[in-house]
Amino acid sequence: MTRRRWLIHLVFRALAHRAGRTLLLLAVLAMASSLATALGIVSFSMGKRVAEEVRNYGANLVILPETARLDVGSGGLNFGVISEPAYLRQKEVEEALTKSALPGDRSSHLRGALRFRNSDLLVEGVNFGEIRRLFPWWQLRGRWPAANEAVMGSDLAARLRLKEGDMVELAGPKEPLRLRLSGIVSTGGEEDGLLFLELRSLQQALELEGELTQVRLLVTTEGESLTKRAAVLQRFLSKAKVTEVRQIARTSEGLLVKVKLLMALVTLVVLVSAGSSVTGTMSTTVLERSREIGLMKAMGGTRWELLRIFAAEAALLGLAGGVAGFFLGSGIAWFITKSVFTLSPEISPWFAGVSVGVSLFLALLGSLGPMIAVFRLDPVRSLRGE
Amino acid sequence: MASTIIETAGLTRSYGDICALKPLELSVPEGEWLSVMGHSGSGKSTLLNLVGGLDRPTAGVLKVGGEDLLGRDEDGLARFRREFVGIIFQQHHLVPYLTALENVMLAQYFHSVPDEAEARFALERVGLGHRLKNRPGELSGGEQQRVCIARAIINSPKLLLGDEPTGNLDHKSTTMVLELLRELRAEERFTIIMVTHNQEVAAWGDRTIYLDDGVLVREERKTG
Repeated sequence: MTRRRWLIHLVFRALAHRAGRTLLLLAVLAMASSLATALGIVSFSMGKRVAEEVRNYGANLVILPETARLDVGSGGLNFGVISEPAYLRQKEVEEALTKSALPGDRSSHLRGALRFRNSDLLVEGVNFGEIRRLFPWWQLRGRWPAANEAVMGSDLAARLRLKEGDMVELAGPKEPLRLRLSGIVSTGGEEDGLLFLELRSLQQALELEGELTQVRLLVTTEGESLTKRAAVLQRFLSKAKVTEVRQIARTSEGLLVKVKLLMALVTLVVLVSAGSSVTGTMSTTVLERSREIGLMKAMGGTRWELLRIFAAEAALLGLAGGVAGFFLGSGIAWFITKSVFTLSPEISPWFAGVSVGVSLFLALLGSLGPMIAVFRLDPVRSLRGE
Repeated sequence: MASTIIETAGLTRSYGDICALKPLELSVPEGEWLSVMGHSGSGKSTLLNLVGGLDRPTAGVLKVGGEDLLGRDEDGLARFRREFVGIIFQQHHLVPYLTALENVMLAQYFHSVPDEAEARFALERVGLGHRLKNRPGELSGGEQQRVCIARAIINSPKLLLGDEPTGNLDHKSTTMVLELLRELRAEERFTIIMVTHNQEVAAWGDRTIYLDDGVLVREERKTG
């Protein structure tokens, strides 16, 4: 029999001999690692859920063109500011987004005015696919537009007495645009007063090909602050300004941080109490086994060899507790996420590693004091039963 | 003439103000059976612990197998014990959750590699071939002591130390254990140092030394 096999055999025998205490330690370790696992899964699932919720609020960053501004004044008198309409170069924005590699979605916008029934009508060119991804709360009566179609904001449609299926003819610098209204959109915001059509059609109609007035981004922060993400993008956009849509972004980030902090605190409390419990139980075990340890030392076991035996016992318990903790924790997480947060838990095998890691760490850390006692134990005194 | 296995000069062991062993001069030739007698607190066990590398002297020289044990650290002494010494205790000190066979294999584990065939043979030599799978709780006192002997000799020690090994045994078991030790010594040629209270048991040795209050007061050599 090899030394390693014998060591494992010895450890199993020792643990089986103290079945009650072994089960108690296993229960403590499984409980602690299961709670850490459960809270980890819940925290992770909530993080994803919050991220999804934040998505529903829409963009969290906006790219706007730097407006050419000129202060007009003379001799201390200021007559105001003259600003020209400014545009973003679509190509530059796309290059900057590629270079910055920001994860998330975006929507490109070009806003302008076209003539309708002898008055200016505010129109916005968009990619409807992007709009549907980025602004899922838009309520549409009718359907999303196909070629030569548009959707109109509900307020505007009411004012112009138009409805889905109606035709609108818009005049611009080039030939007139004839579009069918495929739907009426309602957002509760400024969109209700606009007419939306395909970006490319509007760029051609306004002779502003490759130009945009705004790009909205929904950037996933993945643990980094939104401000940092915005700064990264800003570095690649010298002629534009990247602005945070502060309120929503900060609220979502703050909420996530608080939830994670709460989970971390609860986990810490659980781990500390479980660690104390492991220390107590292991100390009692070492005390009970002092003669046995003394005997092993008398037989020629070095302090390190004895330490290895006890560390192996702790590691085996930690491993078994961690595996049990993963399954138990997954069950607890499933129950909490389903019943309390009405979510589907995101249980990944990665959490098995977390559970085993936590349990092993607790078992070894909790055994540290008792193992030092094993290290120092005097064989003569322990064999005398002192 | 046999070479000396143990040699002490001014060997002293104190615990604070209490001197358990006063400067002792002792020489033990290889292969000798030395009995150590004395009443409680006379320093018998202290001497045995020092010679077995379980304890360190406060002063003096202690050479075992020609090596001064004072030069070894704690783990060095542990290595000395597993290579050089076999110990038989009065209370047996067997690991309760291991079988007789496994208790013997435990000594092999600390020495080198556990070998079941060798451990089985050692138990057969002490007449326990039929009790291999029994745990200490299932064995009589005499049987437990024979497991201890098997465990003590399994690594072929040069020095066998007995701390009142027959102290808890009845007359029949005592005789059986002592006869066994005599046979094994004849085969293995190890040196025995045995601490005892019992004059009859001491008489099995080649020489008996008497300790009183940590001082060697008398020495008797077996005649004939």
